[in-house]
Amino acid sequence: MRQHRRLDGGTVSRAALGSALVALLSVYPSRGLPAQSLSPRDSALHALNRLAYGPRPGDVDRLAAMGTLRWIDQQLDPNRLDNHVLAERERTFTLLGMSREDLGTAYFDEQRARRERQMSAGADSAMRQGPDPADQTPEALRGRRLAGELQELAVVRAVMSERQLEEVMVDFWINHFNVFMGKGADRFLLPDYIEHVIRPRALGNFEDLLIATAQSPAMMFYLDNWQSVTPGSWAPEVARAAARRPELAARMPQGINENYARELMELHTLGVDGGYTQADVIAVARILTGWSIARPQQGGAFEYHDWAHDRGMKVVLGDTFPAGHGQDEGLRLLHRLAHEHATMHHVSRQLCARFVADDPPDGCVDDAVAAWQRSDGDIRAVLRAIFHGPDFWAPQNVANKVKTPLEFVVSAIRATGADPDTSPRLAQVVARLGEPLYLHVAPDGYPERQDDWVNSGALLARMNAAVGLAAGKLPGVTVALDTLIPATADAPALLDAIDRRLLGGAMSAHTRSVIEQQLADVTDPAARRNLAIGLALGGPEFQKQ
Amino acid sequence: MTISRRVFVKSGGIALFSLGLDPLFLGRAAYALTNRLIVHPSDRRILVCLFQRGAVDGLNMIVPHGEAAYYAERPRIAVPRSDVIDLDGHFGLHPALAPLKRFWDDKTLAAIHAVGSPDSTRSHFDAQDYMESGTPGVKATADGWLNRYCQHDREHQTGAFRAVAFGPELPRALAGTAPALAIDDLQAFGLRAPQDAARDKLTRAFEALYEGAATGLLASSSREGFEAVQQLKQANPTQYQPGNGAQYPRGRIGRALLQVAQLIKANVGLQIAFLDATGWDTHVNQGASEGQLAARLLELGGALAAFATDLGDGMRDVVVLTMSEFGRTIHENGNSGTDHGHATAMLLLGGAVNGGKMLGRWPGLDPAARFEGRDVAVTTDFRDLFAEVAARHLGGTDLSSIFPGYAVNPAKYPGAIRP
Repeated sequence: MRQHRRLDGGTVSRAALGSALVALLSVYPSRGLPAQSLSPRDSALHALNRLAYGPRPGDVDRLAAMGTLRWIDQQLDPNRLDNHVLAERERTFTLLGMSREDLGTAYFDEQRARRERQMSAGADSAMRQGPDPADQTPEALRGRRLAGELQELAVVRAVMSERQLEEVMVDFWINHFNVFMGKGADRFLLPDYIEHVIRPRALGNFEDLLIATAQSPAMMFYLDNWQSVTPGSWAPEVARAAARRPELAARMPQGINENYARELMELHTLGVDGGYTQADVIAVARILTGWSIARPQQGGAFEYHDWAHDRGMKVVLGDTFPAGHGQDEGLRLLHRLAHEHATMHHVSRQLCARFVADDPPDGCVDDAVAAWQRSDGDIRAVLRAIFHGPDFWAPQNVANKVKTPLEFVVSAIRATGADPDTSPRLAQVVARLGEPLYLHVAPDGYPERQDDWVNSGALLARMNAAVGLAAGKLPGVTVALDTLIPATADAPALLDAIDRRLLGGAMSAHTRSVIEQQLADVTDPAARRNLAIGLALGGPEFQKQ
Repeated sequence: MTISRRVFVKSGGIALFSLGLDPLFLGRAAYALTNRLIVHPSDRRILVCLFQRGAVDGLNMIVPHGEAAYYAERPRIAVPRSDVIDLDGHFGLHPALAPLKRFWDDKTLAAIHAVGSPDSTRSHFDAQDYMESGTPGVKATADGWLNRYCQHDREHQTGAFRAVAFGPELPRALAGTAPALAIDDLQAFGLRAPQDAARDKLTRAFEALYEGAATGLLASSSREGFEAVQQLKQANPTQYQPGNGAQYPRGRIGRALLQVAQLIKANVGLQIAFLDATGWDTHVNQGASEGQLAARLLELGGALAAFATDLGDGMRDVVVLTMSEFGRTIHENGNSGTDHGHATAMLLLGGAVNGGKMLGRWPGLDPAARFEGRDVAVTTDFRDLFAEVAARHLGGTDLSSIFPGYAVNPAKYPGAIRP
């Protein structure tokens, strides 16, 4: 890696410089500042666009008054933030009241109903993955309703939570440790994965998070590790049964599966250029043989099967893992991977891409890696280093990222102060814009770069969603614009209100004049207001963050 | 809202003037129309790329049923010889691909085995990236090979629908500076409003917004989008009926190919179509004649057959090329599936295809001939196949720009396109 960049002859650390910059802006806004620096309101808007899903009405002024750095500190300590409004809304999601056992039973019932239906229809599609829309049994409908609830819950939390940074980081880790909901049992394993693996650790320690995902039934199932076994090994009960019915044995797992081992290094830790080989992949797969899942009707929890474990010697990245070990060597492996420099660099770079720029400056990544080393992988410390670094506040990195579909929809809902309902319809809007939640098939998760999201079809879809929201016709959400932006015949006043309350002051002169022209031949005040808001939210400024 | 092109020019033109539209927009609409008129039918060669994401098991798609090792290595998942649809005595189609046999017989379908990347990666993402960028082993390549074709050949042919991906996202292969469009659903493409007049007004308003305030990708993407809206309005996709009684199967592949056929018949200048088919990563219980892979192949074969039937004579100008990032292990794994391998098989369908034959050199499944002792070896670099299609079908001339860093040599073309 490149040397830590030295600024100012090495006497001032980059973090100190960044903090000083912001402190100056926030605490002494009236002092003369360099022309290219951000105003307190601009700083607030920038932080809200990156650490949160955009401002709600009044947020920019509130942050500018309290000091944006103070708000950032609060966001880094989310458990101290009151979140009772969201908590009340969460109680309306039946999904959150179900245990993993309940969900396992629901899945089991659905599978049984489907098998019965297929047997009677003579269809051979038992291996079909994911929900089958043609399946209208009550069990299948319930399965689809729960899946819809899970997606909607993500949108509702992103809109309503006071702990915005936590929600942003949950989304980050959900994609970093992606699990595809359409793969069979993952539909019932995913709620537990989100609630109990990802969410509690979103601002925790990286190694904890890595181990929790490695031992999560959702990941074990998604990347097939649950049935990776040493060749020739048999579960005791299978060995007994196979003696009587050899055809049963033929259907049981009979060897290692490299899938998880490869993605663990390529995506979760080292990165694709992290210096591992195919031999390392095989050795990691052998180390993780026996990391498996209990049967779904027993709750489908993580289970280590010693009978399936390869007790031979392995070598990973030059480290010898001596013969004779069991589950412990998997933990040793994860510890090693979590502390590899390549891992720190890979994950830090992704964080900087999320919070600073699609192609993050090396200095930002270096600062994050340094904080990672100092804190032994404390995610909050890494984030704090990024938020206090000069790159985060550099004018060229403000409004230089395009929102993902989720960020676009949620920020529009927040900007208009709208209220999402518990139906899956808002999540379906996000899906139509190209980001169906938990349904990214490949283990790399949804991308962060604008090239992956900006194309002409997707832009037209965003414009449609914006116009629909402003007209109160976007499904799954209630908008009450009258208090926020009252209808008025005074076009300049209307545009002032929209710029200040919805765009945080980012409206360009061009946008302003185009919208003003468009209003000229619309007479109904409410229709005028709605059209103006639709154009503002569907226009270029609001696509950026 | 059926309006002929001529009527649109008249009434559309008047309407635009009466609303005081900016001349830029008008000029572009007029340009789009003239541009269409100068496209000569015989110049309209079309390539449809279908990416089987997840690494299709080439050995069970195009089955080497004459090879004893195939059956020895796959006791649970080999397709029994009695089920294989024989092609040349050694290879045969998976039974789920039966609808494609008649195209083999009329010599418009060819298959190539042992094709793949010179790079040895077994990562889906890397391998897909390399196949789409056209630069195996080089991650820094910014654009895709199909986009580079559009940049360097007939670059004057810039209709909004020249290169279209059917799906919500633009794939890597089409990423780059040449305009390309991602369309998830033709019928829903464009802005929605209760009346046509309101929709036109909204379209013009957004166009003006992006024209002036957007930069970079937002600007170019929105511009392409508004052009496409205009052209599609004239093509009127809501009235589409497949030709020759073609019936597309349910599912994403059939839906996407139907839309490709619509756009081809609408004469909007489509030259490159790209679609994704997922679900080929069969690590577990992939099945043999029936099962998981068979279900995917059934949809693929049915959709391709319906597409060729629908276009009928129109297939004269079309080549469909399937591709997948790598193949799968020769030996079945412990879960009655297959793991990531190396070479795979690809299909070519269309009037220009040198069909009715197996292309490429088959290395055999002998352990000594395998890649790293376990996978089918690559005997045809995918770039040789892609380059042949780009050169001999699409008429591409600047092949060194399409495949930078690779010395394209016609002597290495597998002979996929009829001379």
